[in-house]
Amino acid sequence: MRRTVSRYPRRGRVVPRGALRGSPHLRLRLGFIAIAMVLSVFGARLVQLQGVDPHAYAAMAAAEGTVTLDLPAHRGDILDRNGKPLADDIDGSMVVADPSVTRDKAPELARFLAHRLDIDYFVTLKALRQKDRKFAYIARRVPASKAADVVAEAKAAGFKGLDTRHDPIRDYPAGDVAANLVGFVGTDEALAGFESNFDELLAGTDGSERYAVGRGNRIPLGDATTKLPVDGQDLQTTIDLDLQWYTQRVLRQTVEDASADSGFAVVMDSKTGEVLALADDPTFDARNPQAAPRKDRVTRAMTDVYEPGSVEKVLTLSALIDAGKATAHTRVTVPPELPSGDRVIHDWFDHGTLYLTLAGVLAQSSNIGTVLATRNFDSGQLRDYLVKFGLGQKTNVGVAGETQGILPDPSIWTSMTQDRIAFGQSLSVNALQMAAAVNTIANGGVRVSPSLIRGTAVTDDGLVVGTDTATTTRVVSSAAAKQMSRMMERVVDPDAGVAPAAQIAGYRVAGKTGTAQRVGPFCGCYNGTFTVSFAGFAPADKPRFTVYVVVQNPRNGGGGGSVAGPAFAKIMSYALRRYGVPPTGSAPSQLPTTWRPGQVASR
Amino acid sequence: MSSPAFQIRSGRIRAAAPGVQSALRARLTVVPRLRTRTSPLPFVTLVSFLLLAGVIGLLMFNTSMQQAAFAATSMEQQAATLNAREQTLRMELDVLRDPQRVALKAQQLGMVIPSSPAFLRLSDGKVLGTPAAATREDGVRLLPRPPKKPAVLDPAPNVVKVRAENGAAGTAHGAARDKNKASDRSGNQSSGNR
Repeated sequence: MRRTVSRYPRRGRVVPRGALRGSPHLRLRLGFIAIAMVLSVFGARLVQLQGVDPHAYAAMAAAEGTVTLDLPAHRGDILDRNGKPLADDIDGSMVVADPSVTRDKAPELARFLAHRLDIDYFVTLKALRQKDRKFAYIARRVPASKAADVVAEAKAAGFKGLDTRHDPIRDYPAGDVAANLVGFVGTDEALAGFESNFDELLAGTDGSERYAVGRGNRIPLGDATTKLPVDGQDLQTTIDLDLQWYTQRVLRQTVEDASADSGFAVVMDSKTGEVLALADDPTFDARNPQAAPRKDRVTRAMTDVYEPGSVEKVLTLSALIDAGKATAHTRVTVPPELPSGDRVIHDWFDHGTLYLTLAGVLAQSSNIGTVLATRNFDSGQLRDYLVKFGLGQKTNVGVAGETQGILPDPSIWTSMTQDRIAFGQSLSVNALQMAAAVNTIANGGVRVSPSLIRGTAVTDDGLVVGTDTATTTRVVSSAAAKQMSRMMERVVDPDAGVAPAAQIAGYRVAGKTGTAQRVGPFCGCYNGTFTVSFAGFAPADKPRFTVYVVVQNPRNGGGGGSVAGPAFAKIMSYALRRYGVPPTGSAPSQLPTTWRPGQVASR
Repeated sequence: MSSPAFQIRSGRIRAAAPGVQSALRARLTVVPRLRTRTSPLPFVTLVSFLLLAGVIGLLMFNTSMQQAAFAATSMEQQAATLNAREQTLRMELDVLRDPQRVALKAQQLGMVIPSSPAFLRLSDGKVLGTPAAATREDGVRLLPRPPKKPAVLDPAPNVVKVRAENGAAGTAHGAARDKNKASDRSGNQSSGNR
């Protein structure tokens, strides 16, 4: 102190500045004020962080340095019986852009992308030039490796603002093969067929993952939560891809050549009831479903009802034989026409009085003969048989929108109704129902429920379907089935029957034609158009496949034998060759189809 | 130390008794513990070594884990790329073995799907079934028919029949071709009514 004073002697009594500055109290006080000010700033910030909007800041802090990834579940494939894909999921990406970055070089970049990704130049240019946007789709469902290559090339060429995101591709490698069954998926949802009906099973559950990153790499011991995705299950169908393809091509040719409205064909394994092919025409390309009208994107074979016509006679007459009311040799005198209630029943061809055996009635497809034979049934008997054959009930194979057909209720079942039902009118079926019913004869009188799915699968409606749930029911005795099979062989006989075109050289083929009048959609009456069909199985004495071909409204004047018969023969021979089924070599059926009045009955 | 012994020897034990006692007590003083002054250096070295080893070890562990994380990330990326490529290739493969494509190629080579199956049994060389040569009529149309054009765009062919003036060979050849055409057409449309 003294020294200070002595240093500034001239200032005299004035308290020197140095004195105050040196005062510890004042220094302390100023220090405290400074500290308090700083602390109050901190305090204010603390209140702002914790009091005003703590969650937003917490989220921002969490977002800094952590990454959240969607772990998309792999959608299950739909496979044919040999594991070939009908629909499969492929790792894909969408290419996205940030227009705020890409605006400057939009034309060059659009040209580059249009060239590399095969997309439209002008659409791309517009997307790249959008104002006030940070996100634009450039291309969707690009194979992942291609998308990555393109983005990397773009970066190398000096274009910025492109990125890829996960976007799985649903591919239908076989195009239109089994498209009506498999269906298709839209941009974000399953829209039709198995894709939609088994969506829950196929889709699986997406997972997600959050973890801390540093410089683009995952920090090993950083915070991480992972919810693993549950992949969808594969759905294996009983369809044989190659056979289905061939069936579709034959069917398309048949429908086109007959100038018909539509057609369907079913190929069934006689023993197991597995459906090897279920074809519809017209069909659509599952890779481009929008190109086809909506009505062509359904499974007509399951959703269309129609009157089966004469194919029904197989069921009626085998029931008659099983009930002990007739045999293949039963003699029927067929008049030119037959009154039934207030109507008159005719045959498809004009004739005088015919003398046909029951086998001949079937081979010549005589309505009158069938009706006369069927009048021996007890009341209600025929209907019980038809129910056992599976008519009037859904087949429940896993196709959505299946029709159950129409089998008249007992309350409206009159003798007139029965007369018409005997030859396939006044009742309606779907194609698979009818194929399964005819297959009953092939399978020795035991109806095996058809299936389209291998193993078991649960539809979105909770219905369990598949080969594991297939049931068998005895409908007619094996003796009756055998007799019917021998009668059906006469149908394709060039001399005795009406459908020689369905014969396969070297094989024993059993079959039945059908030509039914169609009920128009508006008037509810027969509108003069026809449903022609052919159902049969081969080899007749050891059946392996049952094939059923239906053509709606052929305009070339053909019937079941001439339109559907050749298609049947083609499909059946392809199936026999493909599965290596040789002819049995046994002698074909020679059941008599006619008898002469006055002749002694052979049996 | 030597004086108590001397006193005992001089016989003045009694007089010396208290002194002896005190002397004895003095003798019982705690012997100072032998403190070896060891150097603290080894211990310090050990501790600092442990510390250093720990720190360095941790650092190296951390570094190696980071390194592994980098490697894992890049390998995962590589795996994803390869997986994507595999799937793309599989997709291409599916396109290549599409039955429609295979059939079209086969048809271009003149192959036909036969209509009547026949088998050759290897055990006895017997032919099962009826073997027949596949003909054009057996083939299946693989593509849908092109839509029908209006008459304006699809005029009827203008057929001019020219009679060959010399030699019958030309005529016969032409007639055969016409016949072939006719049979092609009828082969597509099945005739007969049942």
